[in-house]
Amino acid sequence: MNSLWGKFLENGRVKECPVYDMHAHMGSFNRIYLPFGDFNPEITKSRLERAGIKMLIFCSHWTLFSPDIGNRANIEVVRQLPDKLRAYCGLNPNYPEIIEKDVEDFEKYRDVFVGFKLLSDYHQKPVSHENYSPAWKYADKKGLIVLLHTWGGSQFDGPEQVRIVAEKYPGAKILMGHSCHGAWDETIQLMKDFPNVYAELCAVVDDRGGLEQIMDACGSKQIVFGTDWPWFNHHYYIGAVIDSGISDQDAHNIFHRNAEKLLEGLI
Amino acid sequence: MEKIEFFDANVFIGRPHNGMFGAVNNSEGLFEEMDKQGISRAIVWHIFQYEGSPVEGNRILAEEISKSDRFYGCWTILPPQTQEIITEDFFKQMKENKIVCLNVFPDWHRFVMDAVTFGDFFQQISERNIPLFLTMGRSCISWDSLYRLMRDFPRLTCVLCDIGIWGVDRYTWPLLEKFENFYLESSQLSLEEGGVEATVKRFGSERIIFGTGFPVRYPKASILQLVHADISQQDKINIASKNLERILKKEKL
Ligand SMILES: [Zn+2]
Repeated sequence: MNSLWGKFLENGRVKECPVYDMHAHMGSFNRIYLPFGDFNPEITKSRLERAGIKMLIFCSHWTLFSPDIGNRANIEVVRQLPDKLRAYCGLNPNYPEIIEKDVEDFEKYRDVFVGFKLLSDYHQKPVSHENYSPAWKYADKKGLIVLLHTWGGSQFDGPEQVRIVAEKYPGAKILMGHSCHGAWDETIQLMKDFPNVYAELCAVVDDRGGLEQIMDACGSKQIVFGTDWPWFNHHYYIGAVIDSGISDQDAHNIFHRNAEKLLEGLI
Repeated sequence: MEKIEFFDANVFIGRPHNGMFGAVNNSEGLFEEMDKQGISRAIVWHIFQYEGSPVEGNRILAEEISKSDRFYGCWTILPPQTQEIITEDFFKQMKENKIVCLNVFPDWHRFVMDAVTFGDFFQQISERNIPLFLTMGRSCISWDSLYRLMRDFPRLTCVLCDIGIWGVDRYTWPLLEKFENFYLESSQLSLEEGGVEATVKRFGSERIIFGTGFPVRYPKASILQLVHADISQQDKINIASKNLERILKKEKL
């Protein structure tokens, strides 16, 4: 039995096991009521502290769905809660001129951004699309984190697409958001083939079995924790990860050690 | 402070025909899991009720749950007209077999769940306070047909399970507001950030029933969420077991 379970159950958080949420969002959203969608520095901070979330890396819904708002939504939020938050610079390939500008300005916001976020299933252009390339080249050169929304079977961000960018940009640290959900065999193959590719657990642990399969094949060193917060509850996901039967060491890797390594030099 | 006892309202036994990670095929397997998770009692159904034959599935379930006082059963119903399940002594059979609630899968089992099909029967279970468990998973029903059901049978005790991955407050809150015997099972409400807290704040803790969704979902997920929810200890106790106990006590079989 994982010894961290008793501690999380007792206190809700464990000092020696901080949690990094590597896949989050911010802001209200059209298709769902999010009780904690609206950003408020005090409330957000207290929600994160309840579950021992040391740092949350997000990309605002407003950035992803409004080119008019763009990354302003991320910058303003991180700067109000800099000890807890960092953001991914959100990219919309339907507006390549904005991508170019955001890459150009990236250095100005090193206090805000740790990398880029692609939501290709929604923006309907594949992750290898040329409109993203200024950002990919920059991430490759600077060793930035790139969080992709990935889903099994998707022509935009399924395993075949991840393979293309992982091969082309070995310097980028690629997080497969949702781990190419459902296509676990391909997810595993990608992790084995590319040391710069990581599985991220949001939606993976909604059902039992997926994490167990990935762990059996690859161990815990290329897995990071994420929740799509404020969609999903941190305690729910922490409980789910522990219930997969992982050891203490694996839990430490997934909850914080792998993230700490990825974020080295970026925060 | 009173301890939280967990009474799980959403568990099935039996192995699905397409396979499922960690499914348990009998009560012994379920015992083991419940002990591991610290869950004291459960309302159980058998996957064969859905995937194979409701008639034979109900029978297997009754046999399995007879092995322990910690289990209560949930039988699957079909239209009364075909008399496959609902016969004259149906309620007596429920009582004899420790069946405390019913579930129904209209779209999958191919019938229309409305007043035409179930008029008299749903009147009877409304009067007898027998809870009807519905699921938003497994292609069971649409939101439209759920709304129609509650409009037609406003006194019906209804527990909505597996509410979905995406938060559904925009769908469920109107039902909680209008129908006092409408309840939410928690295994996916717990998944929604702030979902339990917001629902309790708006409607009180009496309207949520604890469930794990085992074997599909991880029991420790909804347990950890509830134990650390930003609600009172009494609210947690209500959700974990008291609400379901209260519903079952009101039942007249
Ligand atoms: Zn996301």
